[in-house]
Amino acid sequence: MSKIMTVDILSSIKGAKESKAVSKLFEAIKNANTSNNSFNNLNKSAVSLEDLRDDVVINSSALEKSIIKENFPKEKKGYLVVNRVIEE
Amino acid sequence: MVSKEITCMSLIQEKLNALKENTHNTVNSLLDKMALELAERVDAKIESGAAIGLLEGIPFGIKDVYMVQGTYTTASSQLLKNYKSAYTATAIQKLLDAGAIPLVKENCDSFGHGSSSENTIFGAVKNAINPNLVGGGSSGGSAVNVAKDYTVFSIGGDTGGSIRQPAGYNNVYGLKPTYGRISRFGLMAYASSTDCVGPIAKSIEDIRIVVNVMSGRDIKDQTTYESKIITDGSIAKNQVKTVGYFKNFIESDAINPEIKEDFLNALERIREKGIQVKELDFFDSDTLVSTYYTLAMAETASNLSRLDGTNYGNRIEGENLKDTYSITRSENFSEETKRRIVGGNQVLSQGFSDEIYLKGLNLRDQIAANFENDFKEVDIILSPVTPNTPPKIGDSLKDPLAMYLSDAYTVGFSLGQLPTLTAPQGTSTGIQITAAKDNDEKVLQFANFLKDIL
Repeated sequence: MSKIMTVDILSSIKGAKESKAVSKLFEAIKNANTSNNSFNNLNKSAVSLEDLRDDVVINSSALEKSIIKENFPKEKKGYLVVNRVIEE
Repeated sequence: MVSKEITCMSLIQEKLNALKENTHNTVNSLLDKMALELAERVDAKIESGAAIGLLEGIPFGIKDVYMVQGTYTTASSQLLKNYKSAYTATAIQKLLDAGAIPLVKENCDSFGHGSSSENTIFGAVKNAINPNLVGGGSSGGSAVNVAKDYTVFSIGGDTGGSIRQPAGYNNVYGLKPTYGRISRFGLMAYASSTDCVGPIAKSIEDIRIVVNVMSGRDIKDQTTYESKIITDGSIAKNQVKTVGYFKNFIESDAINPEIKEDFLNALERIREKGIQVKELDFFDSDTLVSTYYTLAMAETASNLSRLDGTNYGNRIEGENLKDTYSITRSENFSEETKRRIVGGNQVLSQGFSDEIYLKGLNLRDQIAANFENDFKEVDIILSPVTPNTPPKIGDSLKDPLAMYLSDAYTVGFSLGQLPTLTAPQGTSTGIQITAAKDNDEKVLQFANFLKDIL
């Protein structure tokens, strides 16, 4: 069940619309010549699986924890407060 | 300082005062308490007779997109106006470990979204040479602080030209190193595949020292690699025999006639020194700018999706969670940031991604392949930094497309992930010196040579 999502929903920005300046950039891309349609090289900058670091848990310092809490927009009795979650 | 003609405390205090009084809108926040404490330690060390390192006690600035534990890191945005860094970026930590003293979080375009440092809640950054003109962007505050001697060096961030263009507009050096040479950990992400950390300074020697300190593999940024130290000896004598330039950049109608003439004269001076100068073919400016912005917008739409007032940022309550997200983002993001997020979501959405985003990735591969071929023919590629001189404050905001096109000469090298330096010579907004990947040393070497002949 696919539902078409408009750019304002996709971007979580009220009233967002496509911009003329940006559309002109996209037109230039559509009209540009590409050498072929193969996208074989796309991942050459990606990190190889062998190079991935191990998962390690590093405990944050007390100072780091206190700053993280300070940044939360709303806190109540040690919990992050969020608005009513909607059900869809 | 070592000869005790000046104390570190007095040097730092003098710079802090100059920053506080300056009218160029370069300061988002001063790190005065931290700076004075560190200065006191340096003075105590000198007093004890201990040797001090090259960067110890040297005052520097930090673009306000880097995490420094306990300091405000706003990205010049309303959304993160009160956000405090919980940790310190790797590149900045390395400078702190070397004894350099951070003075200021510097004004810039919000989230790096801009080429003029006008897209900021802290007021447009004014050019160091003519305050009626823009400071350039997005690292405008950093370039102006260096040009005005408020900082000895500043750390900017360059995604599509954000170090090189403001360096050019303010007549200082600015280096975008090879992608991956310096860790991006703790740099607020704009477009992760081209984001680079780099220094702005008044001398090649300062650039060399700072790059050496910040470089190296970092487990927290898996795109980093181990690079060789650049020694002063290795950049002292020019070994470049062939340079190339993109014919279409210079023959374009969009270039300012004076910049064109100055650039061609600079090439002539280089030829006179026995260096071969070759014309090269390259992609047209429209394709370069469109490819860069398409990919950068897609990446920034993804990177900024976490800024929703729940995970991060200044929350504005709505009727429910979704409403809260969207009001928070609508009210707190600037028009330019919203334009880029929407553009990014457009290209990533079904129906658009094949003909725009995937085509953009394909073009990027072709651009990189073009560079690989070029560097089989030449050692260095030279280019003007910008097609035009800095615009008046206010003009760029009126015409976003013109602002995007003003990045025509810088974005290609970003897509190629190449080391590129703005040197404040040759044209009124400088010359860009580019080498193949991981040849940052050659870039500095050629800059040393140009310094003496232009």
